[in-house]
Amino acid sequence: MEQKDLTPESPVVREPEPVTEEERLRRARPGLKDWLELRLGWWGFVRKNLDEPMPPGVGWWQTLGNLVLTLLVFQFVTGIALAMYYSPSPDTAYQSVKHITENVTLGSFVRGLHSYGSSAIMIAIVLHILRTFFWGSYKRPRELTWVVGSVIFMIMLGFSFTGYLLPWDQKAYWATVVGTRIIATVPLVGESLLVLVRGGEEVGALTLTRFYAIHIMLLPAGLIALTGLHLYLVRRHHIAGPVTPVKGRPRPFYPSQLFKDAVVVLVGVGAVVFLAIAMPPGLEGVADPTGTDFAPRPEWYFLGLYELLKIMPPGYEVLATFVIPGIISVGMLILPWLDRSRSRHPGKRQLIIDLAMAVILLIGLCTLKGILETPPPHTPSEASHSAAAPETATMAER
Amino acid sequence: MSEPTQSTKFGEEPESPQRRKVLGWLVGVINLLVVGAVIGPVLGFMGGPLARRRESPQWIPVMDESDLPDGSVREVKYAVRVQDGYRIANHEYVVYLKRNGSEVIALDPTCTHLGCRVKYQEEKSRFFCPCHGGVFDAEGKVVSGPPPRALDRHSAKFEGGKVWVKREA
Repeated sequence: MEQKDLTPESPVVREPEPVTEEERLRRARPGLKDWLELRLGWWGFVRKNLDEPMPPGVGWWQTLGNLVLTLLVFQFVTGIALAMYYSPSPDTAYQSVKHITENVTLGSFVRGLHSYGSSAIMIAIVLHILRTFFWGSYKRPRELTWVVGSVIFMIMLGFSFTGYLLPWDQKAYWATVVGTRIIATVPLVGESLLVLVRGGEEVGALTLTRFYAIHIMLLPAGLIALTGLHLYLVRRHHIAGPVTPVKGRPRPFYPSQLFKDAVVVLVGVGAVVFLAIAMPPGLEGVADPTGTDFAPRPEWYFLGLYELLKIMPPGYEVLATFVIPGIISVGMLILPWLDRSRSRHPGKRQLIIDLAMAVILLIGLCTLKGILETPPPHTPSEASHSAAAPETATMAER
Repeated sequence: MSEPTQSTKFGEEPESPQRRKVLGWLVGVINLLVVGAVIGPVLGFMGGPLARRRESPQWIPVMDESDLPDGSVREVKYAVRVQDGYRIANHEYVVYLKRNGSEVIALDPTCTHLGCRVKYQEEKSRFFCPCHGGVFDAEGKVVSGPPPRALDRHSAKFEGGKVWVKREA
């Protein structure tokens, strides 16, 4: 099917192929390297990317995208490795993760890379978003780069939420019971959505397989496609320079900028490796649906939402679970059209900067409050206030 | 935009504009059918749990009547064999039983706010939810905090020296 014929308005301007070079090589009976280059055009592609012009003033702040990309590759590699030992069933999930952590060669380390990697990506991606926001880089012509990036961020949150359940320990189980319960507060269709997400009325075998399939297949497929699109758009529209233009000529991406990227990647990956070794990931008791002395805690980057819920007056939970996150998400997606001012300078778009600062402050303070109020691990909260004695032997210590 | 015209690329008009339009349209229809052939069944497949009927609840003996003194609150765990997706599992449940003379009430420990487990604090005669600080009295009524309504109740009765509980949806 001829794509061109279906979309005559396609704005793609094709550059003329470098025919002369090709002809020269073909005539000269190419060696393997040239033959590969003729067939793949790989070196031309690499060359083009290494020569990507960096406007003067671009520097350390523009390294974060590369860090996110590298950490994503880490998540893919460690995730595939973990999937080889993991078994997504309530009867086996916990045991398999315990086995990975305790018996498999380097198991604790690989699991640590995956677990701390997810937190590191979240930090890197938020910094990347903040940089893009304050530099006003989402403005014309880079609106879609921003939109695609925002969707990638939401996919990352989805990864975190679905991945959190997989170890099937107490923390995982209860965070998912409460987290999915939030879905039920969606007006009208909430209860049906809840059943759809959980695969049934309760968090059980089908929730685990559902989350596993979403975590290792649906989200990665979406992420690969959108990351490819994001990178394509970044190269198509090039890097936005500083807000106030700096004098000088653009410099190629390689070597100065790539070196800065490499340094930041080294620091980021180094931190993840260090944490995976220094503080191996823990595993709590196996999920116990009958436990009454476990206070559920979501992953730290969802704590803001969790705290927001606490301060909502009774009956207004839907504000914290649905309305406020919904407004923030939609606001993020349509930001390039909310802020239509020509200038990228923060001083000249006061309203949108103030609004964003309010949102950042709200999320930041709520997250901070949540982190401060998180009880230290393995300390049963309110242990002294023992409840009525259970009639049957507790199953918690299996 | 310099788009190559039909004549330069393929010679003299291989197809009439009308024919191109109809064929293009047919391709669109076929593509819709093909996409529908995979998306439709898959959506139905994933939405299966929505159509599943609940099993009707049954009376289950959970403890001896003599172990539940008047006025006291007891936490009881019991197991029910249920279909959990592809497996039959012993689903364990917890209820709080409170005796008022010859009456017994069974309270579900699921906080009505967002589904955390409430805990009974005997010295204060109240239920406390550790997530968002909801407090219920010994009968399950909301005292303070965010919960929108009292704790859910299950059916409970004394019969043959036992306390029986039937889970309500």
